[in-house]
Amino acid sequence: MITERQEELAALHALGLLEGAERAAFEAELAGNAELAALVDSLAGASANLSFAARQVPPPAGLKERVLAACASVPQSAKAEAALAPVVGFPLRRLIPWAAAAILAVTAGWLASRNLALQSENDFLRTERQLAQVAYLRAQAELKERSIVAEGLINDLGRQLRAQDDLTRLKVTALVALAGGTPEARAIAVWDPGREAGLLTVEKLPAIDENQDYQLWVVDPAYPNPVDGGVFKPGADGRVALTFKGNKPIKSVAAFAISLEKKGGVPKAEGPIVLLGKVPPI
Amino acid sequence: MLLVSDSTFGYYGLGPPPPREVGFERMSEPRIVPPPDDERHALQRRLLAALASGDKTALADLYDQLSGPLHSLAYRMLGDPAEAQDLLQDIFVQVWRTAATYEPARGSVFAWMATLTRNRAIDRIRMRKRRADALANAAPDLQPSATVAEVDAGDSLWAREKAAAVRTALAALAPDQQQAIELAYFSGLTQQEIAARLNEPLGTIKARIRRGLLRLKDRLPSGL
Repeated sequence: MITERQEELAALHALGLLEGAERAAFEAELAGNAELAALVDSLAGASANLSFAARQVPPPAGLKERVLAACASVPQSAKAEAALAPVVGFPLRRLIPWAAAAILAVTAGWLASRNLALQSENDFLRTERQLAQVAYLRAQAELKERSIVAEGLINDLGRQLRAQDDLTRLKVTALVALAGGTPEARAIAVWDPGREAGLLTVEKLPAIDENQDYQLWVVDPAYPNPVDGGVFKPGADGRVALTFKGNKPIKSVAAFAISLEKKGGVPKAEGPIVLLGKVPPI
Repeated sequence: MLLVSDSTFGYYGLGPPPPREVGFERMSEPRIVPPPDDERHALQRRLLAALASGDKTALADLYDQLSGPLHSLAYRMLGDPAEAQDLLQDIFVQVWRTAATYEPARGSVFAWMATLTRNRAIDRIRMRKRRADALANAAPDLQPSATVAEVDAGDSLWAREKAAAVRTALAALAPDQQQAIELAYFSGLTQQEIAARLNEPLGTIKARIRRGLLRLKDRLPSGL
């Protein structure tokens, strides 16, 4: 019983269309199947006759002489080129060892090619993995870099916020003249409650005698009298800028005042207040 | 008197076969009638045996008998006159060198030499392909076969009769089967390439080849 698949393989074999492992496997099958071998023989015969389907084109007249001359120059060999193309009806049993060898050779070849293919695939995968690792490391580095940048930004932002917080914490007060002798004098006092220190800038403050000083007072409601902030003497242009601290701990500042006192200052204001400024509540 | 077409018939081995006389043809126009295929095959085997022993006359006679169809096959596959002639020369040189290795059990002399020719032609076609030549131009696989009624100038009577029988059998196939088989035999294409050329699934092509070749075998006269 010959199956359709065997018929198909027989037809392909007869036309020389089977190759490689497929051919070796079929020829091995042929070796053990006389009915199939007979079919292959008959199909091979039909196939060989197909050459007559070609339009008959006789060879040129001079070719025969060329062929005969070429043959005359070639020695005959009894066993040369033993591997002639199989046509039909050869004894199949003699082919069994050859078929087995062919299958082994084809299998070995296939395994070798498969091995090469797998090696190639493995190399490819390894390369892909390395590339993926490089990409991962690069991404990690970028992320780290961005983290650093982000951290810097956050720190900057924090610093800005802290600075803004500091600024909001600062108490800024403009001091204005109270006495008639200093109508153009201006003073700005900036107080940092956290540090309990301040900055005073004064303009157009009238010059005073050598035995006199201006004295700054910090009014803290926690004390019954203003707290001494230090003495100073303006320059020839009437300007002065100085930092100051109270001679007592300052909890909160309600106002600043500048009085004209004797040289070196006094513990409790005695002279006239020349400039006064209340600290705004916020 | 009826004569066989080949004067060398009977030259080798078995002696001349008795000339066949057909009485009612004696009165008609004398015409050459080829011997039956079995006798033709036997003659070719004797020629090859003589050739194997170094007989150059046998070589010339074998050339006279087989060069036409073998050259036609080479020309059909290669599509180039010069290459077909080179191939034919190669085949005869190979046969000259290796005639002693021919085994009659492997088929007729013609079938053997046709297979050698086809295999060499396929080698050349694939070499062209490897050289990146356009296969479509190299293998005239779709070149239409000659029709049954076509008379080929210069051909031998034997070849003409065989050609007529083969073409008749081919013409009886479904067109798609005929096309697939002619491509398979003459083009040197692989199964996959044939499928691609015909834009059909591989399974369809295999089925067409199977059905077509089985039908061709059944339709070819026995002993052809």
